[in-house]
Amino acid sequence: MEFYTNALAQVLTVGPLVAMIGATLLGVFIGALPGLNPVMAIALLLPLTYSMDPLVALGMVAGIYNGSMYGGAIPAILLRIPGTPASIATTFDGFPMADRGEASKALKIACWSSAVGGIASAIALMTVGPLLARVTLHFGPAEYFWIAIFGMASVGVMVGSDPVKGIMAAVLGLLIGTMGIDTLSGQARFTFEQTWLLGGLDLIVVLVGLYALPPVLQLAEKCDLKGLSAAQLKLTNMPFTRAELRSFLPTWLRSSGIGIAVGILPGAGGNIAAFLSYNAAKNASDDPESFGKGNPQGVAAAECGNNADNAASMIPALSLGIPGNVVAALVLSALTIHGLQPGPQLFHQNPVLVGGFMMEMLLTSVLIFALGGTLATRVFAQFQRLPGVLLVPSILILMCVGVYVINGRPVDLWVMLGAGLIGYLFEKVNVPLAPIILGMILGPMAEQSVRRALLISRGDATELFTRPISAVLIVMTLLVIVWPVVKALRRRRLRAR
Amino acid sequence: MEARQDIVLGLALAGLGLAAAWMARGYAGASGIYPMVLGLILTLLGGTVAVRAARSGSRGARALVEAPGKLLVAVGIATLYVAAVVPLGFYTASFLLMLAMPFGLGLRRPVQAGVVAVIFMASVYLVFTVLLEKPLPREAILSILGSSG
Repeated sequence: MEFYTNALAQVLTVGPLVAMIGATLLGVFIGALPGLNPVMAIALLLPLTYSMDPLVALGMVAGIYNGSMYGGAIPAILLRIPGTPASIATTFDGFPMADRGEASKALKIACWSSAVGGIASAIALMTVGPLLARVTLHFGPAEYFWIAIFGMASVGVMVGSDPVKGIMAAVLGLLIGTMGIDTLSGQARFTFEQTWLLGGLDLIVVLVGLYALPPVLQLAEKCDLKGLSAAQLKLTNMPFTRAELRSFLPTWLRSSGIGIAVGILPGAGGNIAAFLSYNAAKNASDDPESFGKGNPQGVAAAECGNNADNAASMIPALSLGIPGNVVAALVLSALTIHGLQPGPQLFHQNPVLVGGFMMEMLLTSVLIFALGGTLATRVFAQFQRLPGVLLVPSILILMCVGVYVINGRPVDLWVMLGAGLIGYLFEKVNVPLAPIILGMILGPMAEQSVRRALLISRGDATELFTRPISAVLIVMTLLVIVWPVVKALRRRRLRAR
Repeated sequence: MEARQDIVLGLALAGLGLAAAWMARGYAGASGIYPMVLGLILTLLGGTVAVRAARSGSRGARALVEAPGKLLVAVGIATLYVAAVVPLGFYTASFLLMLAMPFGLGLRRPVQAGVVAVIFMASVYLVFTVLLEKPLPREAILSILGSSG
């Protein structure tokens, strides 16, 4: 308990509070604009946080993450355009509600459900995270090597539609992670005699390019020259009763549980949580036929599920140093930017910071109640009246500032542009981008762990396979890789029948 | 179409993996083993993607680019912007980008684009230069005015 009271005292100071409020509002705004997403926003924000207090920087990350997950519901309900991939399921019942004049009510349900899901998820993070970190204190280099491999294998296999391409992307990320001076031997690798490559490719530069440029290019391709009319964004205030509120409790409980479970799994994201929660609500309903035709329970389930995934995805990231999704990878990047090493030691060496971040995930979820109401929604929806093409140069400029301030090197701008174009093409040919970033983050950890393990065992490679926890992790990794193959074979057999 | 794209992708990454493994051969001691193994795995996976695509044949079209003209304009202007940021200065290049990109993409409302550009650039200046004090490429126009003054 002392862990959290100390952290709370630090979080409830001016800097983190202003950061959380501002970032939650910004997050709602970003989520409300189709084409922008939390990953892009956090990637753009990270370089600017170098000189900030870590709790201020993490408060901004928490605010944008939680705020944008709710913000995605605004265009999903008003226009049937999901603001983020996680709000696709919200369109199923949200838009039919708006169509019959209940947009304001649907938005309120989305707001409350997002907040409830976020709070439940933050509580899960605060309870499970420290316990898991205590267990992992017994891990040695061999176990860390296999944890890194397991994390990458599961993300590579589960993100995207093609496991081979997912693993290929992870290996590419690992290879990029080897660029620069090898810290153990001093050997320069893949530097092509360029001094700026001695430190390797900067993770944030590649990340901003990979995640921010493809949506910008897609916005340019869509070429929205008109924006929306005022009539399309008109809202009529419709309060809901206490009885209606009570009817959401079972849905909120069920969806929170689903969202938290999905969040802990590496590779599964908010969209999966929202779909599973929606289906569970539909299956549990006495009137499943009304789903898809404007049932408020559908909106509550989808929004609660996608927000319940948020903080839970930080559990493996903070306790093991293994990010379960890209936002968790960004949080790890934010920690490393401030000289902190993610993993179990983090809980012991920086308890105020870890506890503070968990508190910030909780408080920004509570803030959605206050900041995500109809008034904010009305204001943010108005930005959709601007032509989409105006967003293209604005985001490019923010990308440029973010990348340039990291090292003050013009060459980084070219690396960002190159990474962005590759990211754009990769997305088109179904190569997921998340494993590349995870490979870059986990690669150095995997390599150092395996080499340390071999140094400790004096070159005996069996040390990597014979320790009990390592063996369990190897089996889990193999299962993750073999499972899609088994599934594909089964599907082929069924088709043949 | 889809198969052809995957063949090109697979072969490109297999080639990259092979090149990386070849380069890693020359690295001292244990520092070369890890990237060499990764290069070989990438070759294997790239080869798998290419062979699988070649065997499956074409399974319908997958458009690589939705609007090639618009994409080329956006990439072209973005490249010019990156090239111009240092010689022209951040704010000058960015302001020009705010006007040129919407125009290049077909927006013919100069007043609206101009107003948005002014408001956006003023916000960027307030946040990044005044509030966060981030060092950005110096404006060429200020240097010219400074040297002539």
